[in-house]
Amino acid sequence: MIRIERRLVQPKWLSVAVPVGSLLAAFVLMGIVLLFTHHPPLHTFDRLLRAAFGSEQALNDSLVSATPLIFTGLCAAVAFRMQLFNIGGEGQLYAGAILGAAAGIALGDHTSWLSVPAMIVAGAVGGAALALVPAVLRAYFSTNEIITSLMLNYVGALVVTYLIFDSESYWRDTSSPTAKVFPQGKPLPDAASWPVSHVGSLVIPFGLLLGIVIATFVWLLYGRTRFGFEVQVIGDSQRAAAYAGMRTRRKILAVMALSGAIAGIGGASQDGDFRHTLDPRGLTAAAYGYTGIVIAALARYNPFAVCLVAFLLGGLQNAGFTLQGADFPSGLVGVLQGLILFCALGGELLIRYRLRFVRTPRASEAEAPA
Amino acid sequence: MAAAAAVSLRGITKRFPGVVANDAVDFEAAEGEVHALLGENGAGKSTLSNILTGLYRPDEGEIAIRGHVVSFSSPREALDAGICMVHQHFRLVPPFTVAENVILGDHRGEGRKFSVHPRRIERRVAELGERYRIAVDPRARIWQLSLGEQQRVEILKALYREASILILDEPTAVLTPQESESLFETLRVMADEGRTIVFISHKLNEVKAVSDRVTVLRGGRNVATVATSEATPRSLAALMVGHEVSLTERVERLVEIGEPVLEVDDLWAMGDRGTDAVRGVSLTVRSGEIVAIAGVAGNGQRELAETITGMRRPSRGAVNVEGRALGGGDARAAIGAGVAHVPEDRLHTGVAPSLSIASNLVLKSYRGRGVAKGPLLRLRTIRDHAARLIARYDVRGGAPELPARRLSGGNLQKVVLAREFEGSPRALVVASPTRGLDVAAIETVHRYLRDAASSGVGVLLISEDLDEIRALADRIAVIYEGAIVGELAAAVATVEELGLLMAGGRRE
Amino acid sequence: MNNSVLVVVLASAVTYGTPLLYAALGELLTERSGVLNLGVEGMMLVGAVMGFWGVQQTGSLWLAVLIAAIAGSAMALIHAFLVVTLRANQIVSGLALTIFAGALGLSSYLGNDLNLADQPARHNFAPFLPKSWQNAEIVGPIFFKQSSLVYLSWVLVALVALYLNRTRLGLNVRAVGESPESADAMGINVAAYRYAHTLVGGAFAGVGGACFSLWITPQWVDGLTAGAGWIAIALVIFAFWRPTLCLVGAYFFGAYSGIPFAFQARGILTGIPPELFQSLPYLATIFVLVLVSSAGARRHLGAPAALGTPYVREER
Repeated sequence: MIRIERRLVQPKWLSVAVPVGSLLAAFVLMGIVLLFTHHPPLHTFDRLLRAAFGSEQALNDSLVSATPLIFTGLCAAVAFRMQLFNIGGEGQLYAGAILGAAAGIALGDHTSWLSVPAMIVAGAVGGAALALVPAVLRAYFSTNEIITSLMLNYVGALVVTYLIFDSESYWRDTSSPTAKVFPQGKPLPDAASWPVSHVGSLVIPFGLLLGIVIATFVWLLYGRTRFGFEVQVIGDSQRAAAYAGMRTRRKILAVMALSGAIAGIGGASQDGDFRHTLDPRGLTAAAYGYTGIVIAALARYNPFAVCLVAFLLGGLQNAGFTLQGADFPSGLVGVLQGLILFCALGGELLIRYRLRFVRTPRASEAEAPA
Repeated sequence: MAAAAAVSLRGITKRFPGVVANDAVDFEAAEGEVHALLGENGAGKSTLSNILTGLYRPDEGEIAIRGHVVSFSSPREALDAGICMVHQHFRLVPPFTVAENVILGDHRGEGRKFSVHPRRIERRVAELGERYRIAVDPRARIWQLSLGEQQRVEILKALYREASILILDEPTAVLTPQESESLFETLRVMADEGRTIVFISHKLNEVKAVSDRVTVLRGGRNVATVATSEATPRSLAALMVGHEVSLTERVERLVEIGEPVLEVDDLWAMGDRGTDAVRGVSLTVRSGEIVAIAGVAGNGQRELAETITGMRRPSRGAVNVEGRALGGGDARAAIGAGVAHVPEDRLHTGVAPSLSIASNLVLKSYRGRGVAKGPLLRLRTIRDHAARLIARYDVRGGAPELPARRLSGGNLQKVVLAREFEGSPRALVVASPTRGLDVAAIETVHRYLRDAASSGVGVLLISEDLDEIRALADRIAVIYEGAIVGELAAAVATVEELGLLMAGGRRE
Repeated sequence: MNNSVLVVVLASAVTYGTPLLYAALGELLTERSGVLNLGVEGMMLVGAVMGFWGVQQTGSLWLAVLIAAIAGSAMALIHAFLVVTLRANQIVSGLALTIFAGALGLSSYLGNDLNLADQPARHNFAPFLPKSWQNAEIVGPIFFKQSSLVYLSWVLVALVALYLNRTRLGLNVRAVGESPESADAMGINVAAYRYAHTLVGGAFAGVGGACFSLWITPQWVDGLTAGAGWIAIALVIFAFWRPTLCLVGAYFFGAYSGIPFAFQARGILTGIPPELFQSLPYLATIFVLVLVSSAGARRHLGAPAALGTPYVREER
């Protein structure tokens, strides 16, 4: 019989061993699924890893894929730490992309030194504003933020689609006759292109660096400030927080706004670093927001771990896109991510509890003496 | 005449992470007997009863019912064997009716039917209630009932199942003295019918009043089994604690009573269920004074404490601290004005359970200049501060980094008290401060409260334990259904008077 | 009269509301046992794709429905195992299930691997009652011009309501959801009830998904449910965990899905972009959720008290 006992102390090494173990276990399970559906597992994994990290080109592409995931991962981690389940990272990223693109287009004639920070700020504002809707509803109307933030993802996708495909909006390219027939976004001016750095042959997008800086900021904020202390207390016990006189409602607004702002900057990064236009099809197909949740959970909400895991999953996503085709199973990446998350959840158990195998005590057959 | 042992436990051992709750315990009770299981909090009484009812499995030892050895792998098997328990925290489903709770999980007789016929069950429940004089409206929903009535439902559940062995865990915690008498009568009737009653308690006078034999547990072991008629409260107390002990007697303090520090004026507040929980409460606590609020649990004590300390918004009335009005519903303002609060639920309200002890010790002071530098926290200062407090208040089993939930009840309470006293409070509101603590810890907490009063703090003690109140308080107010129904000087208050007030009788 | 906007919208309310109703009934049963399963969207999609595969393989619609139910249950089993046995966080587990099984996951994987896209269903559910009934004034299009899946859903609403309120098992599961400690102490096997109801919830969700691929669309398209699973979750809250209110709510939300087509077909309000109409169900969900979450409503008609928390017997 297996007995489950709560652990007295949680050993630190488990906090690393379990996520790593989950990753491995997920791959094993994925292998089984592949076998079942007549795909060669080892060969598929080989192709996957090669396409993710196997060459300079692959590494650079993986960095590109990882960048938005750092933002959405941090977005989820920041909120989930306080038991605020912000599922709206997807929509908040779109909002940031919309406002970021607007800033980039509007400041087209100015220098990058103005454009880029303006886009960052605009993106943050867009994401924060959208996140404040479920935040206010939760803080003042006790409405479950999971569903409200999620519904806004769908609305956000519709809005961004509308701006390019069904309207003559500011974002739409109406310059040429072809553009009038085949809708697409206005290309952003050169000043709105975010800079890149080169480390050896690696091309590091500005967004990636920005993401790491934000991760550091979050780490400091949550670990070393009064704000972070309050977040910890509220996340652990709302009653204790009320007892200690903490302003829970304001914290909910602040944390959600921060969470949304980070996702929004991710959206601006999509405009400035990679797409150089507002690209609804691309953004909605990519599902950065949902992947961010997986990353945050696997990273156990630690900001630096988020960056690392974002790189790993970014690589996998990149590989998924590269290999998409007739002979490579589509949906593989989603399945793999789901499996990783399942294994991580199961692994959580091992961190909090200890499994003991005990022999069932045998009931004696003899009668007790009178 | 030797009565057959209805239930017998032999060599029962049960271990939990970090503690041996039961250590080779032998226990047996006869048919027709009321057998008390006495011990202080933490001695292992609840664990033993949980084993007997199938909730826990013993690591070693065996259980025998009427001579047959049994092994329970689930509560259902214990129920089938005729063992029923009235838990300290009732196992009732609040939105269900009394009848629905009684038949829940029953799979014999009426219970074998697929569909539920409410009327038949209600009739049977009413019958049982009549016969044993514990009548309750079978159609009432549990959340509508008082705690005393809920306890009756628990007993009805056992009677419905024709339990031959009934275990009651600290049943009088939620009763007035008069209701306790009535309960004892019911138990006697049930015992005379041949049932076995196991009565778990840490209160000596009750054990003397109701039981035939007493088994004393201490530190997880059975230290003695005696006939009640041959024991005295003093001898039982000595067995419980392991050494001679002076019973909780009133300690006369040299009291210097000063100006009012806390004034509550016609305070009204809504409860969680939409009705008024606090109804026009007015009282004054002076510097150096200990004012107690006595009452059966569930009469608005928690809501009153929350309203005074700013956790709950009042709908009417005022709270003044040292003459200055306190804005309602603002815990931060109350803390700033010098109102300290030791809440009833120390684990989930008094501390953030997963956070470290050090963090919990600055739970209210983290904004202050000593602890924070602007927006940043001084982590080293916090750690040192925690180490000092842990030493000064003798908090055992906790290094500053360990999560607070790892502490035992007594040590956790010390942490809460340490934090509240460090803030140099003017007034201290404590609710049920010694619930679940062992004798040593209780003495420590009482000492802190007396010291606080001596140093000029006005103490408002809210408690369900009349012994504690009579030992500590200068004045006693009784609360019933959210209103103060009487106020007495402690020196002259009798248990009878207090009991009457607690049950709602008004003072002449 | 039968072609008026009102009748058309009401008819499509019933049509589009039916998958919502199946999924919501399933989630209602799951939540009544105290388990929150946010993976409904994923379970619906897997049900949809496997149901479609079923009809293409066997030609039998009802067998396909059965397959869809089993597929949904299989997904739910993962969640049940993680949440009941391993005591994982129910919210994250449900999200994981959606990511795993949802639009870019298993359902897409299967749809692709089994080559199910771009082909019509071999058979699909369609109205079958006599034409004279179907053409009756007003009630005809709304109630009689529907497929058997609709009529089955009505039967299920009645059965679930009866189950919860009038049977012993229903009483037990309600106890498990409100106060698992009490249920356990009374000898009820909490884990068994939670597993059973989560699996049944998955089965219902699977059938809900099959409503799309075997009737409404009827094709397999990636992500074909477009968030219906999430609306179903909101629907359970909106219905205060009561089956009969689920019916009303499902049709209410279904109407919002029907409005865009009805209006567009009639050239009503053509100036308004389609995306606005398409956002209506989602915005309506938020609005309704706010209304029912207000403190007053929740106090009287709240969720099962133990919803979302794992039950551990030997917890210290």
